[in-house]
Formats: sequence, structure tokens, C-alpha cells
Amino acid sequence: MSRIGRLLAIVITAATVALIVVGTIWPVPSAVAMAGSGATLLRPSSSPQAAVENLAAEIGQQAWEKAYSSLANKSEFTELEFARDLTGTYPSLRTYATLDSFDLRPLHASADEAQVQLKLRWSTVVGAFLDTRTLRVVRTGDRWGVLWPIVKEPRVPPQVIPVNYLRWDVIYRGPEDDWGSQDVEAPHVRIVDMHPVDRSAGVVIMGELLNEDVVPAFVTVKATLLAKNGSAIATEDSFDKISHILLPKQVTPFLIRFQNVALSEVDSVHMEPSASLIAASADPVIEIEDQHFNPAPGAALSGKLVNQSGQVVSVAHVLGTFYDKSGQLVWVADQYVDRALLPQTPVSFAMSIPADIASKVSSERAITTAYSSGRFQ
Amino acid sequence: MKRPFVIVCSLFAAIFALGSDPPAVRVEPTDSVGPRPLEKQTRTAVIRDYLQAWRGLSGAFEQNRADLLDPDFVGAAKEKLAETIREQATQGIRTRYRDSAHDLQVVFYSPEGLSIQLIDTVEYDVQILDDDKVQTTQHVRARYVAVLTPTEVRWKVRIFQAEPK
Amino acid sequence: MRSRFTFLLGALVITAMPLALAQTGSLHLPGTVEAGSAFSIQSTGNGNAVLYIVGLGQVVKRKVQLGQTVSFAPGDLRSAGHYLAVLVGDSSTENGAFDVTAAHQPGALSFLAKPSRLAVDLHDGISGVVYVFDAFQNLVLATTQVSFQLSGVAGATQTRTALTHNGVAWTKMDSAAKEGSVQFVARVGDAASTRVMQLVPGNPCHLRMSARPSGQRLAVETEPVRDCNGNALPDGTIVTFTERYKGGESTVDVPLKRGVARTDMPAYGGAKISVATGVFVGNEIRWGGER
Repeated sequence: MSRIGRLLAIVITAATVALIVVGTIWPVPSAVAMAGSGATLLRPSSSPQAAVENLAAEIGQQAWEKAYSSLANKSEFTELEFARDLTGTYPSLRTYATLDSFDLRPLHASADEAQVQLKLRWSTVVGAFLDTRTLRVVRTGDRWGVLWPIVKEPRVPPQVIPVNYLRWDVIYRGPEDDWGSQDVEAPHVRIVDMHPVDRSAGVVIMGELLNEDVVPAFVTVKATLLAKNGSAIATEDSFDKISHILLPKQVTPFLIRFQNVALSEVDSVHMEPSASLIAASADPVIEIEDQHFNPAPGAALSGKLVNQSGQVVSVAHVLGTFYDKSGQLVWVADQYVDRALLPQTPVSFAMSIPADIASKVSSERAITTAYSSGRFQ
Repeated sequence: MKRPFVIVCSLFAAIFALGSDPPAVRVEPTDSVGPRPLEKQTRTAVIRDYLQAWRGLSGAFEQNRADLLDPDFVGAAKEKLAETIREQATQGIRTRYRDSAHDLQVVFYSPEGLSIQLIDTVEYDVQILDDDKVQTTQHVRARYVAVLTPTEVRWKVRIFQAEPK
Repeated sequence: MRSRFTFLLGALVITAMPLALAQTGSLHLPGTVEAGSAFSIQSTGNGNAVLYIVGLGQVVKRKVQLGQTVSFAPGDLRSAGHYLAVLVGDSSTENGAFDVTAAHQPGALSFLAKPSRLAVDLHDGISGVVYVFDAFQNLVLATTQVSFQLSGVAGATQTRTALTHNGVAWTKMDSAAKEGSVQFVARVGDAASTRVMQLVPGNPCHLRMSARPSGQRLAVETEPVRDCNGNALPDGTIVTFTERYKGGESTVDVPLKRGVARTDMPAYGGAKISVATGVFVGNEIRWGGER
């Protein structure tokens, strides 16, 4: 080994050791939240930021008792209510989420009181969601304590809600080889609209799929981009940018992304919608109330979901379809709602739309898909 | 008298086993196959899978292994061929089928797409072995009717029957 | 190429051998045999021999006395196809071939009837394909007449006949204008096969709704939703109500229940409420007066 090489090895080793020491003594707050033993690394709450950082770290570790005991307004609610504010009373996306990271931004500070914005980024199996809280932090002696803005989930009063919507069950033919014998027909579905667009990151195929049958369908859409010589450039499917369960005469938008492909390379698109029979229920019915399209900057479709049925919905998926003045489909967006939908209890949603698309939007349509704990729709 | 016969038979068995060129295949043009138009890709897939079925059949009958039929045959065709293999095994017989030429014509594609019928004028050699001793080798030219049905990944032969010329 | 030549040479040698050796007798085979029927094979000469009947559908091996008739009982050879007959004696081998054809009497049908569920009033919407088999699951290749009959809750019974080609016959039928179950029967002689099909309402043709106050909200309700033939769309069909008001919109997808869809929506003065199912759009009302 040459002398330069040996020197380089020593420098790298020294730098690594130095970085480990720095990271251990002065850890990044969000890294503390991720670390299992972060509690031992917390700073004393001698400043508003330190108090919020400590609280966020304890939330990340799900150390509810410690987090609750550090609050300045704990007399206003119980520890259980505090934990339920963050994880949900009923099974929902929050219940299964883990804190990925957090950011805080001081908004205002005086000698005895401060205001800090805390952004908690939770990760779930369907992507991340952001929980933003504006916290008041007050000084008590030489310590600062957070006044937690509790959001109490409403409780549904005990009652009996009769539900008699239709439910479909399917009996297929047996596994034995009975060629030609009677079987149930797969649902008939049809693509009623399809539109490819060139986006900076690649090609996006958007469209709408109609279940024109009288039975529910589990649907997927696969698209293959074909080059001028007929060869396949790439194949993708709609994954979760679609409502997979379509009841009779229901329409879902779909969006398929192709990364690193330019539309100019594409000669044609081969679309493959597929549908299979699925047991499903027409319940729950979810109303999408007060839909507002908010133009750029921060273009978004917002609204409230109201569960008109008696069943608690664990996860609601909202899909928005956006059209221009001529009725041409211009975008498909979606959002998962992190809180459970309780009967007759509005829950807000907001799905963002790219700024360049937002200027073209003239009308929109939203649909929801509901997943209840223990059963599918 | 018997010795030279056995020697020639053994030589021929070796030639038979080793000298297996792929069969000559001719596919007659199909203007109309009944109620459903036949796409080129479907026709290609059906013929490919049918010819593969002959290879599967050949191995199954030579080794008396009915399980070798599974990838290519289904339903009545599979049951009948498997039963024949069981009969062969019970009686100590094996048979070697070597197809040398196929003259194929797609004659029917059912409207719902669940069956395709082929007529195959096929030439093949059959060697009958009893207790591993070659008893005879015959060249056969026969007309087969085959019906194939789609499964998850390929077409499988469901009806397979020779008809009198 | 070389292997093919060697193969041919070997085949010639092996084919010539029996001719040279078969000096004592010959095989008398039937030209064709009907599957399942009795038949016999006559040999000449004397001494012991083994008779092989080899086909892809069946294999038979019997010890025989040359010069005697070898009898096969009904049902011994059931599988249609091409068979080789090989008689191997102590000093000779004789070969022949014959065909076994399917029995003339049809015994079973494979009836592919599609689809099992379809909309009313579709021309050629139903297809039926029949493969005709004998009692031994042999495809009956002789031309056979197949009758198809579609009958059900409403509409005249449709009947068609078709002749088989290579064992298969097919037809197409229209679906009736009224929803319900229909029976699709294929018959060949005494053999018959039945499929049940469900005729379901077609695309909506009539969709009207009305609205009335319901407390602080608005109750919207459709009339029974029907297709162009007057069939009511089945319960569970999704009807979408959309209410547009100043600065906002509310949407709700409601399934039909007992033929109608109803729900409550926010009550905004001057709001426009529209109704649709699938791609069919119904009437629009302005709260405060229908348009």
C-alpha cells in the first residue's frame, strides 16, 4: 500500500469516528425519534424548542406516559385521550402508522410563552401523511411545558342502526375439471375515457373505467406502451390509483405512471382492463360534502367525508378526477384519510394537484373506497 | 437367424433414440375458422403448444410416466393417455413415438374463445418395446383431430383422437 | 441431416426384416371397428405368438395360438383412434393397422354456453357450442344434427338446428327483452345438456329524481330506474347524486334499494342537483324549482 493510500485510510477512519461521536452527543431530533433508546438522549426542556423536540421524540417512541406527563395541560384530558388523539380511537391508518420524522418551526416567543409549529410525518403502508399541530409552550419555573391542542375523536352514542343494503356473495364452480359446465360470468367492465400525458418524470396514462354489469367487480387496469416497431416499451398497472372494487354502474378513475419514458417514443398504448367477481356490500355509503377546488398556489381539492351508514370505516380512500372546460380528463389525484369515519361524523380531506394542471381544471368528480377493519368494503 | 435381427433392432433403437430431428411443420392458411376471428398470436400459441404436446406425449409413453402429460394435456385427452400408459406399464410395454411431419389446419375457434380445433395430418414412427426389447417399428401417417382449451398460461389438448383416413 | 439419413436406412432395414422372416402366416385385420363393439383378428400358421394392439388410446397384449381367431369382446377396445396390430411369433413378426371409430350413438355432450349472464335484447348475444361424444368419451366425427333451444320466463322459444363438422356444432341466439332466467338446451338424440342463463337489465334509459326538504337537509330520491325495455335496474346499482352550489359541491354514490336511490344532501338555496348512473345522466333540478 502506498503512503498516500495509508494516509487516506487513516483520515477516513478518523472522520468516521468523529461523526459517530458527534451524532451520539448531538443527535438530530428526528433521529432520536427513530432510535429505540432515544429517551436517554433527550435534552432538558430548558427552551420551548427543546420541550417540543422531547415531546415529539417521546411520541415517536410511543412513550405515551412520558409524553403525557411532560405536558403543561394534562389536567384537561387523560393519557388515554392523548394517545387516542395520535393513534385514533377506532382502527384507522393512524393505528398502524409509525413516526418517520418531525420538524418544528418557532412561530412566536416571549419570556414565558412561545408558539411552535410541529409537523409529524407518519409513515403507513399506503404512504406518508402529515399531522401539523400548532403548539403553545409555557414556562413553569426553569422548565418549559407544551400545551397539547387535544383533538378528541367524537364518540358515537350507543344505538342500533339498521342497515339493509344489498350484499353480493359468489359461489364458483368446484375445482374439478368440468369443461363446459355452468359457471359464473366475470363482470363486464369498459374503459370509457383514456388520456396519455407527458410529465417531466415520464408518461402518465389516465382514464376512467365503468362497471357496466349488475354485479360487483374487482378491477385492475394494465397498460403497455408500444413503440413504432410494435415492441413493448414498458408495462405498468394502476396499483392504488384506482378504486379496485366497483359496484354496478360505478365509475373509477385510474392513473398509471411510466417513469423515464417520453411520450414521443410511444406509438400506441395497449390497455388491458381486467375484472373478476368479488363478494361485496353496497354498505357503507359515504357522502363527499363541501367539495372545494382551491386554485394554485397550493392547489387542492378539499372536502369532508360523511359516513351515512352504521359501520365504522377504518380507512377511506378518496380519488379525484379533474376535467378541463371541454370535459377532457386532465388529472387524477388521491388521498387516504388517516382517521376512521364514524357514522354521520364529517372527516376532512385535501388532495393536492400539480400547479400547472390546476390552471386547466374546470370541474371535478370525487369517489371514495372504504375499508373496514376485518372486512373489505 | 434371431441374433442378427436383435442386433439390427438394437442398432435401430439407438438410432431412433438419438436421431430425433424436429418435425417438419406445415400450417395451412386459415381464411375462416367459424364464429370467431383467429388472431395471429393465438394461432401461433396454439400451434406451438400443440407441437409441444407431441413432445410431452412422446416422453410420457417412452418412460411410462403419466405425470409428463400434465403440462400439455387436460380433461378427457389426459385421462385416456394416462390410462394407456398405465396399461403399458402393467403389461411391461413401452412405446416410442417420434413425430416427423405435421400438416396442420385450424378448423374451428369457438365464439367464446374457449376451444380451438385442429386437424393434423401427422407422420410418425412408433416403436414397440416389450421388456425393453424392440418388437417392431412402424411408420404411420394418420389424421388427428385435436381440441385445445386455454388454461392460465397456455393452451392444453383436451380432445386428441385419430380418425380414419 | 446425417441422423435423418441413418434413421431412414435403419427404418428400411427393420421394415424389410419381417417380410423376410414372415414366411409362415399373415394377419387378417378389420378395416375399422366401432368403439366398444366385438371384433376378431385372424392369424395363420402355427405355434405360439404374442399379439400387440397398440394405440395412443389403448394398449392390449395377448398370448395367442397362430392359426386361431383372436376374439375381442364388446368393450375391450373403447378408445377411438389408429391402432397398430403386431403379431410376434417365435420366428416371425407381422404388422398391420386398423382404426377404431366412435360409436354412432351419441352418449354425452360438452356444451359451452356463454355468457351465463347478459343484458336483455342483444342480437346474437348468446353462443352455444356442442362437442358430441359417444358413451366412451370419443368425439363423434360423423355428421350429426344438434338442436338448440332457448326458452325462459318471457318471449318466444327460439330453436335452431346445426350439423356437426368434425364433431362440433355451434349457434348464436338473441337474448329476450325481459329480464329473468332462461334455459338453453342442446340435444342430440337422447343426449341433452342444459344451461341456465341470467338475462339482466340493460343500460339505464329512464332516470328521474325529485327533492324535498328533510329537516335542515334535502332528501333526494329517484323514481324506479329502468332500462329501455322497462326492466328495473337491480338493487345495488350505483346512482350518483351531485349537488353544486356557490363555491362548493357535494357528491354521494348511493346504491339502489328496492328499485330507488335516496339520500340526504346539504340544503343550499339555488343549488343545482344532478343524478347519473354509469355514463347515463338523468334530470337536473335547481333547489327551489325543477328545471
